[in-house]
Amino acid sequence: MPMEFVQLRRGQSRAISLWFIFDAVVALAPPLYWAADANTRPILSIPIALLYFLAVGACITGSVIAAYFDDRARGEVS
Amino acid sequence: MAITFGLLLVFFIAVIWILQRTGIRDTSFTDYAVAGRSFGARYQAMSFLNTWYPGSMFTAFGALAATTGVMSFYVVSYSLLTVVLMYVMARTVWIWGKRFDLHTQPDLFALRYNSRHIRTIAAIIGIISGVPWLVLGMQALGDLFHFMSLGYLPFSVSVIIGVTVVAIRQIWTVRLGMRGVIVSDYFQGIVAYIGGSLILGGLIIWLVVAKDSTLSSLDPKMYAIPGLSSKQGPLYVFSLILTGTIGGWCWPYIFVRLFTADGVGSLKKSAALAVPLSFVFGTLLLIFGMLASALPSVVAQPNDAWFLVAQEAGGHLLLGLAGVVLLAASMGHTDGNIQAYGAQIATDIIGNYTKLDQTRLIVIAKVGMLLITILASWLACLTLPALFSLAVLAYQGIIQLAVPQFFGIFWRRGNKQGAIAGMVCGFATAVFLELVFPGYLPWAWGLTSGAVALVVNGCVYVGLAYLLPQTESERLRVAGLFKMVQEPPPIRTDSVSLTTSYLR
Repeated sequence: MPMEFVQLRRGQSRAISLWFIFDAVVALAPPLYWAADANTRPILSIPIALLYFLAVGACITGSVIAAYFDDRARGEVS
Repeated sequence: MAITFGLLLVFFIAVIWILQRTGIRDTSFTDYAVAGRSFGARYQAMSFLNTWYPGSMFTAFGALAATTGVMSFYVVSYSLLTVVLMYVMARTVWIWGKRFDLHTQPDLFALRYNSRHIRTIAAIIGIISGVPWLVLGMQALGDLFHFMSLGYLPFSVSVIIGVTVVAIRQIWTVRLGMRGVIVSDYFQGIVAYIGGSLILGGLIIWLVVAKDSTLSSLDPKMYAIPGLSSKQGPLYVFSLILTGTIGGWCWPYIFVRLFTADGVGSLKKSAALAVPLSFVFGTLLLIFGMLASALPSVVAQPNDAWFLVAQEAGGHLLLGLAGVVLLAASMGHTDGNIQAYGAQIATDIIGNYTKLDQTRLIVIAKVGMLLITILASWLACLTLPALFSLAVLAYQGIIQLAVPQFFGIFWRRGNKQGAIAGMVCGFATAVFLELVFPGYLPWAWGLTSGAVALVVNGCVYVGLAYLLPQTESERLRVAGLFKMVQEPPPIRTDSVSLTTSYLR
């Protein structure tokens, strides 16, 4: 990473940073939603096309909550 | 009609009662514009949600889910990703805001780029782009009052009533400033997103049990996501999610939430509180819309799915509660808009070129809010066929603030020349492309005009950052800003006025 980029992770773990990047990849990467397109095969009674979006939402939600607890455990936030 | 209007009246009186109890404490412009940076995580979370999700979520996105199906979930993806962005930039923005007494998004631009004019440019782009959406939000209340009258009131009269109600509400926005907005957002947010989610859950159960509408019984077309062979293009959904995520923080009324918290910890905790609520609410709303598509009445009027299903499932009582939920969501969004624009008129436009004391800043912000309310109310009562197209155009334009905003927060090298030139080029490109290719660009695999303009904007910004290196004094100043973020936040820091050279 070039030196001029600000360090975002004062005390934030690398795992959380990677999780945030993973969030962006699963939400934005076109091949993933192309694969889910029109796929009505159910998993746990939920069609895969819908399950894809639910999984993305759960992943992002989990990452933000985990980041907060990670920051709290490190004393970054009270 | 007595039940539906009675419920709306009770809710409205409750909001006014809460506002009256809040009291006025605008001893300084910081108190008035960012509530003295005094709110904790729960208030921050609800305030963010109440501003992020307007009342039209229930109508426009309910309709989108009922007509296009699972593709509508892009709104959930970007609404959640935008909270990740909030989490990542919380520390930098809050610390700069506290240390330099920033009140608005253009204030931050001025600090980061050491430029007086960038502040005005960003403020004008924000206000011009926001007014069409403000007008649309007011007009949406016309639908609400039309349904609450059980169809007795003509739509034109309903719009006037809706505009009048929301304009009366602004009396307290003007009087109390940001503190009033956030306190009422807390109550309105609970009603709109927690109450709304409970109603949505109940309606989903009703649709499954009473109407036999299930995920497996829906038309397979409801599970289509624009892909390689789609009309829109393979990158259409990518473009919607990307521009939605970064574009959200370009709206002045969203960005200012970062300045109202009492600390970085509250901001981060508010993100952790808001994200599950946002996920649950968004998911329930869109699944509700998809299942409601099985009803003939919704097929005929998809925009009214929220009201039609509520009335069919629970009669006038549930219809009234659905109206209260939509009114709560609409008021939060409108209040936040008007408050932010008033503050920008005072500090970023008039105050940017005239020395104003705290009292005058507050007075000008109040007058600005009043003028914006009158202008938007007047426009909302007119028939403006091009308004929605104008609003889409405005959105593609305002997201061009993202380049100087995010590069400025995360990259030291950017300069004011690149920031201004990039924004202007990006805005012009977005407007041109949206006028020529409304909606999406078939030759760009479905990218929207705003997304293509962001590339142009980013190239100009980065190109000028390397072509016109910062002077040594500017490099040191920017380095100092970033160094400040890495240090532990002070327990108590008295805010100082902008110490950058452009004001000195």
